[in-house]
Amino acid sequence: MAEFEPQIIAFTCNWCTYAAADLAGTSRIHYPANVRIVRVMCSGMVSPMYVFKAFEGGADGVLVAGCNHTDCHYIDGPVKCDAMFARLKKIVHVLGLEDERLRRELISTSEGVVFAQVIQEMVEQLRELGPSPFKIKAEAVA
Amino acid sequence: MEQVKIGVYVCHCGSNIAGTVNVEEVARYAGTLPSVVVFRDYRDLIKSDIKELGLNRVVVASCSPRMHELTFRNACQEGGLNPYLYEQANIREQCSWVHDDKKVATEKAKDIVRAAVKRVYFHESLEVKKAPVNPNVLVVGGGIAGIQAALDIANGGKEVYLVEREPSIGGHMIQFDRTFPTLDCSECILTPKMADVGHHPFIELLAYSEVAEVSGSIGQFKVKVKKKARHVDESKCVGCGVCEEKCPWKVPSEFEMGLGNRGVIYIPFAQAIPNLATVDADHCAYIQSDGKKCGACIKFCEAKAVTPETLLNQTDQIVELEVGSIIVTTGYDQFDPSVIAQYGYGKYDNVLTGLHFERVTCAAGPTGGKILLNNGKEPESVAIVHCVGSRDQNYHEYCSRVCCMYGLKYAHLIKEIANAGVYEFYIDMRCFGEGYEEFYKRLSEEGVNFIRGKVAKVTDRAVTDEEKGKLIVVAEDTLLGKMIRVPVDMVILCAGLEARSDADKVASLFTLNRRADGFFLERHVKLDPVATPTDGVFIAGCCEGPKDIPDTVAQASAAAAKALSLISKGTITLESAIASVDETKCLGCGRCEEICTFHAPRVVCKNGVMVSTINETLCKGCGACAVVCPTGAMTIRHFTQEEISAQVGALTEAG
Amino acid sequence: MNLDDIIQETKTYYCLECGKCTSICPVARYDPSFSPRTMIENALLGFEDELVFNEKLFSCLTCYTCQQRCPCDVDFAMFIRKARVMAQNNGQHGACAHSGQLQSLARLMSSPHIKQRRLEWLPDKYRISDESDVLLWVGCAPYFEPIFEDIEFRALDITEASLKILNFLGIEPELLSDEKCCGHDALWTGDVETFKKLAQHNATQIKEAGVKKIIFSCPEGYRTFKLDYPSYGFGLGCELQHISEFLAERIEKGELKFNEMTKKVTYQDPCRLGRHLGLYDAPRKVLESIPGIEFVEMEHNREDAICCGTSAFTNCDTYSNMIRAERLSEAKATGAEMLITCCPKCQTHFRCAMVDKGEEKRPIPKIEVMDLVNLVAGALGGQE
Repeated sequence: MAEFEPQIIAFTCNWCTYAAADLAGTSRIHYPANVRIVRVMCSGMVSPMYVFKAFEGGADGVLVAGCNHTDCHYIDGPVKCDAMFARLKKIVHVLGLEDERLRRELISTSEGVVFAQVIQEMVEQLRELGPSPFKIKAEAVA
Repeated sequence: MEQVKIGVYVCHCGSNIAGTVNVEEVARYAGTLPSVVVFRDYRDLIKSDIKELGLNRVVVASCSPRMHELTFRNACQEGGLNPYLYEQANIREQCSWVHDDKKVATEKAKDIVRAAVKRVYFHESLEVKKAPVNPNVLVVGGGIAGIQAALDIANGGKEVYLVEREPSIGGHMIQFDRTFPTLDCSECILTPKMADVGHHPFIELLAYSEVAEVSGSIGQFKVKVKKKARHVDESKCVGCGVCEEKCPWKVPSEFEMGLGNRGVIYIPFAQAIPNLATVDADHCAYIQSDGKKCGACIKFCEAKAVTPETLLNQTDQIVELEVGSIIVTTGYDQFDPSVIAQYGYGKYDNVLTGLHFERVTCAAGPTGGKILLNNGKEPESVAIVHCVGSRDQNYHEYCSRVCCMYGLKYAHLIKEIANAGVYEFYIDMRCFGEGYEEFYKRLSEEGVNFIRGKVAKVTDRAVTDEEKGKLIVVAEDTLLGKMIRVPVDMVILCAGLEARSDADKVASLFTLNRRADGFFLERHVKLDPVATPTDGVFIAGCCEGPKDIPDTVAQASAAAAKALSLISKGTITLESAIASVDETKCLGCGRCEEICTFHAPRVVCKNGVMVSTINETLCKGCGACAVVCPTGAMTIRHFTQEEISAQVGALTEAG
Repeated sequence: MNLDDIIQETKTYYCLECGKCTSICPVARYDPSFSPRTMIENALLGFEDELVFNEKLFSCLTCYTCQQRCPCDVDFAMFIRKARVMAQNNGQHGACAHSGQLQSLARLMSSPHIKQRRLEWLPDKYRISDESDVLLWVGCAPYFEPIFEDIEFRALDITEASLKILNFLGIEPELLSDEKCCGHDALWTGDVETFKKLAQHNATQIKEAGVKKIIFSCPEGYRTFKLDYPSYGFGLGCELQHISEFLAERIEKGELKFNEMTKKVTYQDPCRLGRHLGLYDAPRKVLESIPGIEFVEMEHNREDAICCGTSAFTNCDTYSNMIRAERLSEAKATGAEMLITCCPKCQTHFRCAMVDKGEEKRPIPKIEVMDLVNLVAGALGGQE
C-alpha cells in the first residue's frame, strides 16, 4: 500500500512569505513537495472560505503565512489576519480538527530557511496524523 | 462572456527548470485543460499567438512572478492583450529548485499549471490609471530636519508649507549650546538656516500651527492646518520684545527647560523665526478676566500689535492646503528620568538632564553660560551618567546613539567653563562618527575621569564626612571590579531620546506605522529609510529614530529628494488590483470602512441607498475589506474570491 | 430531477399567472428583477436555462408568503427548493452569503470521520443527563458563536437559557455530544446529498439516545426534523416540540411562574415556525404570561408577518437589507423597546442589519433584539 503523503495548501503573502519561499528556491533549500502555494497580496486577504475550500478539496493541512506585525506592506494586515484566524480556529476546533492541520506562521522575506523548516515540520506531523477527517474521497487512507 | 482562449507557455529556463521538471510533459498536460487552445514548451510565440490564434488569456509557467510578471505582462500588452489577462505559474523557485525527484516535481508542476489555468480564466481586463502629482510639499515639524527638507525643496523652485507647532522653528537643536565634535555654537549654525526659511519666497511658514486632518493620497493630499491664535496681530508685530519685558506675570520657560522664566506674552528666544510675540492664553490675566485685569502689553506696544481685540477675540483658524507629498519631521522627546527613582531626578537639587545642561552652558541661557548649582555656587565636581533610559529593557532597549557624544561634550565644557572634576560613568563609549573618536581621545588629555560602570543610584545619604552635602554616585567600576562611591556637586543624566508622547496621534493622522521601539516605521530598514508604507509620506530625522545632526540633515535631504523626484515625474500610476463594490449586493453596513487602514471605502448615499464607494487613489488592494464583507459585494480585482477559490479547488483536485 | 418532475410534484401547472405571488413577495417589492410568477412561467414553458442559470433563483426566501396567498395551491417554496437541486447539478451554487462559508461548514460537518468537540462551552451549573427522556437539540449554536462574533450574537445564550428553564422545571435533558447540523440550509440550497448525510447521522444518534421527546429552540431545526426528515425516510420515533410550545404547555399547567418584568415588546413570527408550521399562538401565550410585559403586535403579524430577509444563507444583498429595514421600522413603530423572536437566524439577520460601522449612518432603526427564551429565563421566579 502506498504511504500516505499529506497535501498542504499554503496561503502566502506576496511581500513576505511568498518571497521567502522564492528565497528558499534561489538558495536551493530542499523541502518536501507536498505543499502547493497560493499567492495573495496580504495575509489579511485570506478569507475563511479559502481555508474551507482547501479542506473540502481534500487538503490534509492548511498554512496561513504572512509578514510579521512590523513589516506589513499594508501596515496592519497581519493583525487583521490574526483576528480572522482566531475565529476560524474556534470553528474548526468544534469540528474536531486537530490543531496541527491549520497553522499560522509569520515568515518574513529573508526567512527562506524558516519556510522550508515549517513545511518539513508540517509534513512530518501530518504523516503521523493521517488523512484529513474531511477527506470523504475514497482513496488515500493510511 | 466571449469564449475564453488560453495559451500556456512552459519555460525550460535552460536546465533550471528542465533539469528537474519534464517541461514537455507539463506542456502537453496543459493542452488537456479546458479552454486551452495552444500549449508550447517555450515562450517565444506569445505575441504572435495572441494575434493569430485570438488568445485572450496567457499563462507562462516559469520563474517567480516576483521576477518577471512585469516582463510577460508587457509582452502581452505588446501583443495587443490587456496585461492583466496574464497569470504566471511559479515552477522554478517554488518547484524545480526545491525538489529533486523528477517525477514528483513534474506532477507538482502540472498542479501549479492547472491552478494557473483555472485562475486565469477569471481574470478581467483592468485599466491602468494615472493621477497627477500636486507639486506642493508639506513639511511637518520645524526642527533641523524640517528646516533642511524645506530649504532643499524650496531651493529646487517648488512650494513648501512648513508647519511647526511651537511659536518658533528651531526644534531641539536651537536649545543646544555647542554641537559635538566641533563645538560649533548650535545657534550660530542653525539661525542662518532659520532666517533663510523665514525669507524664502517658496516657503510658507505656518508656525504656532498644527496639522488637524489629512485626507487624500499620494499626489493629491488635502490637509487642514489649525493656526493657533497668538493673540497678536502678526502683520504689525515687529518682535521688539518690550511686551515681554513689561509683562508682570512670569512662568517657567519651556525653552529654558524650566531653569528660567518667560513672560506670559513672550518671544521664546532671541532669534525666533518668525520673530513674533505669542500670548500664553491659559496664564494671561487679561484674557482670563475677560479684559478686566492687567493689559500692560497693550499699553506698551508701540506697533499696536497687541490690542484688546487681539487678546479677547482672536481665534484659531483653519487653513486648507493641497499638496502632493508630505515629509514628517516631528523629532523626539527627551526621556524623562523621574521614572528611574534611584537617579534622584526631581528629588534632589542639581540633578539635571542633557537638555537642561545645554541651557546652563549657553551664554544666552538662564545662568549666562556659567555652570551653577541651585545655591548659585560653581560645582567642584560633576558626574555624567550615560545610558539613562536607553539600553535598558525596563525603559528603552535601544541605544539613543547621541548620548555618549554629548556626555563627552559636557565633560569638555565643564572643564573649560568651571574647571571642575568630571566623572563620566559609561558602559560603552560609542564614538562612531566623523571626528568623534578623536574628540574622545582629546578628553583623556583634559583629565576627565572615565569610569566603566552603569550607575546604580544617586543618593544624598552621606557615609563619610567627605560625602556630607554632596550627591553620591554609586556604581561598580567594572574594569577594577570595585564598588565605588563618588561624591559630586552636580549630576548630569544623559537621558535618551524617545518617540514623542503624541506619536500615536501623528501616526494616525498621516497613516504611519510605529516600530516596536516607538519611532515611525520606514519602508525598509536598510534600503528605504525615509519612505514609509504610505505612498507620498516620508519621514526624516529623529522621528525615525535617534540620530545626530549630520545624519538628520542627510535624511532630511533624502526625503526632499524623494519628494522632488515625485514632483519631477509629475504623475503616479495607481494600483489596478484594487477593491470594487457591487452596489446591488452592498448593505451599506460600513464593515469595509471600519477595517480599512487607508480610508479607501466610504459608505455614502447614492440614489437614496447607502452603499460603499472606493476611493481608487487610496486603495492599496490588501483585501481586508473583501474578507469582512458579509454579502460578497466587495471584491478585489485580479484577486476575486471566485478566482482564488478556483485556484484552491484546482490545486486540491489531484490530491 | 427534471423540470417536468418538479412541475408535477409542486403542482405549478395550476398557476393562473395572476401575479398575486409577486405582488406580496417581500423580495419582489424591492428587487425589480425578482418575480415568482416569471419563474413559474419559465418552468411551464420549458425554459430550463432561464430558470436554472438565473442568479435570482437563490434570492427567494422560501418564506411561504406567496403560497399562502396563491389561489391555486402552487407549492412555490418546494418548487424553488427542487429547482435549486437542478441548479446545483448544473454547477450553479448561487451567490451565497458569507462567501458560502455556512454551506461549506455543513459539507465539512457531513464527513463521517470528524470527531466534534461540541460541548466544551457547557458550564457546570447546568444539569444534564444521558438517562433523560428529553433531548435538548443544540443545533449550530456552538459554530455560530465564532462566526457571528462581530454582531455580538451568541447563539449559545439561547441554549443556556433553555437549559436554565428546563432545570428550573426539574428536567435534566440529554445533550448529544455528536449531533450535526439539521441540514436545513443544505436542503434549501439544493444540496440534497449533504442534507441526507447529516440527516442519516442525526437520525442514528437520536435512535441510539432512545429519547421520547426532542425540544428545539430553533424553528429551522424544528421544521426540518418535523417535516423533512420523515419525507426523506428518516423516521425518529419520538415527539418533537418547539420550546415555545413546551413553555406554553407548562404555563397552562401552572408550572411556570414569572417575576414582574416591565417591558414593552413586539414579536417577529419566524417564517419556519409561523407560516411553515402554523405555530403562532404559543409564543404569544408565553409573552402574555409574564407580568409587566406589554405586548404590541407589528402591523404585519402572524400569517402576514414579513420575513427577516435572508433564508438559508443564500443570496444576501441590498434588497435583503431593504426588507430588514422595513421590518425593523415596523417594530420601532409599535413603540416597543424590544423585538422578541424565537429564531436564532432572525436574530442574526436583524442584528446584522443594525451594524453601522461607517461614518455616515444608515437610516435603519435600531431596536434591542432578544430571543423569547432569554426573556423567559430572565423572568423566572415565583417558586423555589
